[in-house]
Amino acid sequence: MNSTQGMIAAALLMIALMVYTFWPDNGFAGQHEKTRLEYLLERKEQLAENLRDLNFEFGAGKYPEEDFQKASQQLESEQAQLMIEIDLLQKA
Amino acid sequence: MASFGSFSLIIALVLAAYNLLAGAFSLFLMAQNRPARISAERLADTARRAGIASFIAISAAAFALVWSVFTNDFSLLYIAEHSNIALPGPYKFAALWAGQEGSLLLWAWLLAVYGFVLRLTHKTDVKLYAYAGTILAGIQLFFLILLNVVAQPFALIPGYVPGGPTPADGNGLNPLLQYAEMVIHPPLLYLGYVGFSVPFAFALGALMMRYPGEKWIKITRKWTMVTWLFLTAGIFLGMHWAYAVLGWGGYWGWDPVEIASLLPWLTGTAFLHSVMMQEKKGLMKSWNVWLIFSTFMLSILGTLLTRGGLVSSVHAFAQSSIGYWFIVFLVIVAAVCIFTYILQFSHLQEAPSDHGLVSREAAFLFNSLVLLSVCFVLLWGTLYPILSEFTVGNKVTFDAVWFNRIAVPMGLFLLLLTGIGPLLPWRSTSLRSIRRNFVLPVLVLWATVIACLVLGMNPWKGGVYDRSSFYALVCFAVSAGVLTAIFSEFFRGAGVLMRKSGRNIFAATFLLIRRNTRRYGGYIIHIGVVVSMLGFAGAAFNKNVEKEMAPHDKLDIGGYSMELVTSSQDSNLNYNTEFAMLDVYRHGQKQFEMAPEHRVYLASQQPQTIVAIHSTILWDLYVVYEGTNPDTGQPIIKAYLNPLVSWLWAGVLIIVLGTVIALSPSVKPTAVQGEDSGILPGQKEINTAGGIA
Repeated sequence: MNSTQGMIAAALLMIALMVYTFWPDNGFAGQHEKTRLEYLLERKEQLAENLRDLNFEFGAGKYPEEDFQKASQQLESEQAQLMIEIDLLQKA
Repeated sequence: MASFGSFSLIIALVLAAYNLLAGAFSLFLMAQNRPARISAERLADTARRAGIASFIAISAAAFALVWSVFTNDFSLLYIAEHSNIALPGPYKFAALWAGQEGSLLLWAWLLAVYGFVLRLTHKTDVKLYAYAGTILAGIQLFFLILLNVVAQPFALIPGYVPGGPTPADGNGLNPLLQYAEMVIHPPLLYLGYVGFSVPFAFALGALMMRYPGEKWIKITRKWTMVTWLFLTAGIFLGMHWAYAVLGWGGYWGWDPVEIASLLPWLTGTAFLHSVMMQEKKGLMKSWNVWLIFSTFMLSILGTLLTRGGLVSSVHAFAQSSIGYWFIVFLVIVAAVCIFTYILQFSHLQEAPSDHGLVSREAAFLFNSLVLLSVCFVLLWGTLYPILSEFTVGNKVTFDAVWFNRIAVPMGLFLLLLTGIGPLLPWRSTSLRSIRRNFVLPVLVLWATVIACLVLGMNPWKGGVYDRSSFYALVCFAVSAGVLTAIFSEFFRGAGVLMRKSGRNIFAATFLLIRRNTRRYGGYIIHIGVVVSMLGFAGAAFNKNVEKEMAPHDKLDIGGYSMELVTSSQDSNLNYNTEFAMLDVYRHGQKQFEMAPEHRVYLASQQPQTIVAIHSTILWDLYVVYEGTNPDTGQPIIKAYLNPLVSWLWAGVLIIVLGTVIALSPSVKPTAVQGEDSGILPGQKEINTAGGIA
């Protein structure tokens, strides 16, 4: 490929890329702010996973009974507070 | 092809600049929520498409350079300096990163590949991806400016006119790069360096937009792990290359470029651990943000050290004065990070934590602190020669002994934490819990100490303290304890599944791993780290012997006896070689042959050592052809016996396996599998649709 052919090829590449970039396509995905409810639902999922892990580790004999009860209660209390707020937001 | 490549790079530059400016402007418009003549979302989408188009333009430029290498287009200065006609095909690829310009093009192309994948998957979270894509465009723009202004890969040889004569042949590739692993080591290392741009872009973007929650961590987890895997594999391949090519019997010499690759690995490893705290508990937000910022900046620093001519190193294959450009870029990145952090500081506030000093949270924090301390000490040791020269005009350097004195104990401490962390429960630990989890690993640790002493590994042998033996003893003992801790985690988990589903131990362990690939993949990575550390510990017992040998002379080392059969010379189009043929005996029986070489490459007239290595599970027999005695014409052979080196390479294979498992999706428990989600009878079950049932 000589210099002229190279420049022609590059010009064609440029046109193709410009067309791709600025093609008037309205099918693009819109952006939106994440809502508080979406955030709380994510958090709820994470707490459920933490609780599952805790239960599994207790089942595997890693925690003594009293340690497990204490940790479990803390997680459940956190989860209950979360559920109250989720309920309120869903009703609203 | 030169004009096509040059223009492709200009097109890529324009598109990346548009991506950055249009992307930033659209995000500004959306943040302000002001009505505008142009739809901000439409503008953001053109910016995203410009990023994809930029990838195509950079790919075209990279293709043009590879084409020019393979067609021996010596009108290009880069090709004339880094390739030659007789260069074997695979090494022509290696020419792409043999010099400054090519390696920067590789950096830009790999970043474009990451950006391409990111922009194609933007529907996961359109707004977050728009921020990350715009930040990546800013990084891409920097490298494209370098490629178009100061390090042009398509520059022509001085005085060349189109159609005029070109050099008949090139200077050839650096002989150190003419080794099979060199075709994959630099791209892997670069994939690691470049890849940290992605979690960096997500973290900075999430901070800029005050992203609610921690889901961005889940989105970036795979990116971070893949990047970490590439960097880990790249570092180990570099070690293997140094071991097999440099011919000094070792694999790690605390060279500045070696350290440069380790620095982002250390902070990246700290990030991978501590980010779990943020994901699970919403803790350590500021810490994590700065860990990933530092990791990215250390990756840029690594590129600066490798390519910028700031330090001298056997690994720095391309040196020049573009260091100032990197320093300016680093200052800009640091300024943007600090400014964003201060502006959005309130977003990083977290609820007070009630975890105790002995808890998994504390172990994560401690692990992070130690990794960061090691990183700081190594950075200080690497940059001190530059700082001392700048401040007092006298270049003071630290040797490998200094680095070992600091890094080895810290590494052993990290190894210990690898075993302690997983055994600690979240929030707090009672004495009963400590007894339950730690008794067996501690017993195994001390049993190993006693066994090693009984077997003769005594650091105080003959009344003289041997620090290397002491560290090796500690490493063996701690490794035994850590492996016990990790395997006990597997057995406990598998035990639960055996009780519930009636599976045998192997099926239960397999299911256990599939059920929580992240956790158990992580444990497998830890096993790999332990195995590699055992390989490092073997270096305490290295032996070597050197001898000038006449035919049928013998050289003895560690139970092996090597007999020189012949020494000869050979040549081909690429190099001349001198080599020795050795028969190796053990217990009086011939076991195998070895043929170490000494090459001189014709195009560059540079020498190269080709080491002969015989690996076993216990040791490597490593033989170097040192040259010939000019007086007698006889070859000088140096032999090393290096214990446990193969454990290093086995360890990294286990690390790769663990990472692949950790990256795989976990299977959800089903009724068909015959067990539940780990909830025991009588415990409260979580109703994920609406709370606690």
